[in-house]
Amino acid sequence: MTKGILIFAHNNPQIDYGLMAIISAGLAKKNLKVPVSLVTDKWTIAWLKESNMYSKAESIFDKIIEVDKPVTKNYRKLHDGFNSQTIPFENSNRFSVWDLSPYDKTLMIDSDYLIFSTVLNEYWDIEAPVMMSHSMNDITGDRAGILDNRVSETGIHMFWATTVMFDKSPESQFFFKLVDFIKDNYRYYADLFRFSPKQFRNDIAFSIAKHIMNGFETEFVYTLPPVFTIFDKDILLDVDKEKLIFLVDKPLDCGSFWASATKGVDVHIINKQSIIRNKDKLLELI
Amino acid sequence: MNFGYLIIVSTHADIDYLKCAYAAALSIKNTQKPGYDQVALVIDNPTVVKNLKSPWVFDYVIEWNKEKHWDGRSWMDKLSPFTNTVCIDADMIFLRDYSHWIDYFVENKDLYISNKSFTYRGEEISSDFYRKAFTKNNIPNLYSMFTFFKKNTEIATEFFTLGRYILKNPTEFKNLYMVDHKPKVLGTDEAFGLAAKILDITDEISHNLDFPKVVHMKPMVQNWPWSAEKVTEHAGFYLNKDGNLKIGNYQQTDIVHYVEKDLITDEVISLLEEIAWNKN
Repeated sequence: MTKGILIFAHNNPQIDYGLMAIISAGLAKKNLKVPVSLVTDKWTIAWLKESNMYSKAESIFDKIIEVDKPVTKNYRKLHDGFNSQTIPFENSNRFSVWDLSPYDKTLMIDSDYLIFSTVLNEYWDIEAPVMMSHSMNDITGDRAGILDNRVSETGIHMFWATTVMFDKSPESQFFFKLVDFIKDNYRYYADLFRFSPKQFRNDIAFSIAKHIMNGFETEFVYTLPPVFTIFDKDILLDVDKEKLIFLVDKPLDCGSFWASATKGVDVHIINKQSIIRNKDKLLELI
Repeated sequence: MNFGYLIIVSTHADIDYLKCAYAAALSIKNTQKPGYDQVALVIDNPTVVKNLKSPWVFDYVIEWNKEKHWDGRSWMDKLSPFTNTVCIDADMIFLRDYSHWIDYFVENKDLYISNKSFTYRGEEISSDFYRKAFTKNNIPNLYSMFTFFKKNTEIATEFFTLGRYILKNPTEFKNLYMVDHKPKVLGTDEAFGLAAKILDITDEISHNLDFPKVVHMKPMVQNWPWSAEKVTEHAGFYLNKDGNLKIGNYQQTDIVHYVEKDLITDEVISLLEEIAWNKN
């Protein structure tokens, strides 16, 4: 059985997802010791070449799989500390991962997910068609809201598609076809599952597909560990060897931060600009 | 083995409890195995039962009018025609076979009362919004909505006798045992909880089990971030022609205590009747 990691990266004018994918892949490969492949588009490849990162990409990635850049009308407001901008969110082709993955067992991770532990290696041998993170943990422990845990207030449990592990079984193939169907009929499912359809979210589409395939019941047996999350209002301030130093937003005290740090744990850093700002030190870790 | 379900109702000005009991009995006939699907109805006016399309779903119809509404349930041991009985609330429907659990109760218990309930999303209810009298006064959290007992056993007789006494003397028992939070009404659940506490038999009659798993559709315990008067304000109730029930986006596979009596519409009754007719 072959196993490997897959990362999707489609640049937009504001965020260099290709660079983030190199950092994420490098850390994953170093710590999990499995090959990592990239799914990207010609525009992102062109920028990797122009920014002199393509040779680094070639050395890190097992395969670079070129696909069409997904057409999107999807926008999201993304913070960088207290600054924010509304940017395109080109995330609508994740369903195609089943067809694109060169591995028998694949771990798909977001490009802003940085792996510093071997925890996910414990999951490769579990016989489950699709596993996702069952929840997210906020670094402070108390800032996650109800919509971080549920698709809607009265609705189903939210699983996190930041980390998804799947095999090449007919069940997992059906799962991703269902995700595609939910994406194509997102307004209908938004009405049925009572969430806002303004922004397409893979977390929601994946959660609905899992809920449907589980007979409209919630199942927590076959899941990946929680996604340890640093919100976009938080800032990755510095990287000191393998220690990540953050300024963490105090939500009830506007303009104030706590200092916090992580070491040896996998982290989902939603503030992508702060990853980019620390690219040199992060690349040194690879 | 002689076993059956017991439903106790009385005439109410605004609520058609017979209709609820009829739906419960239909759902029992539709889902339980032969030998585990008998239903006895206790009612103050049995003549109205004949107006139902399928009165045969009630294997026994017992006329009784000594108590009104929920207080009648404390007489379950006297009223049941069965040797082994599960007394349920009228506003409950069954969605799958539980005969294996009935076998467990018959073999192992003289009396068992449920002690937990679940949201429509399958989470165990931890809120005491409706049960502060239990938590504040350290009374066992019993739900009389599913009570198994063997007729004429010592523990059941003693328990129900005390339960009836408590219901007849609510003020005295509230003053003695519920000083930290006095409920406006001392109902069957409180009476059963107090009886278990006074007799010191809680662990014997209500230990931790995976059954019954009753979805309790009281609105303020559904883990919602807002208050609600009805569950169906926010989550739909969908019964299909196969008898499968969804609440919101959740398939229901256990016993549903739907609380909102008007959910049992004529259409719901028709669906349940058709399944019963096709099965029998």
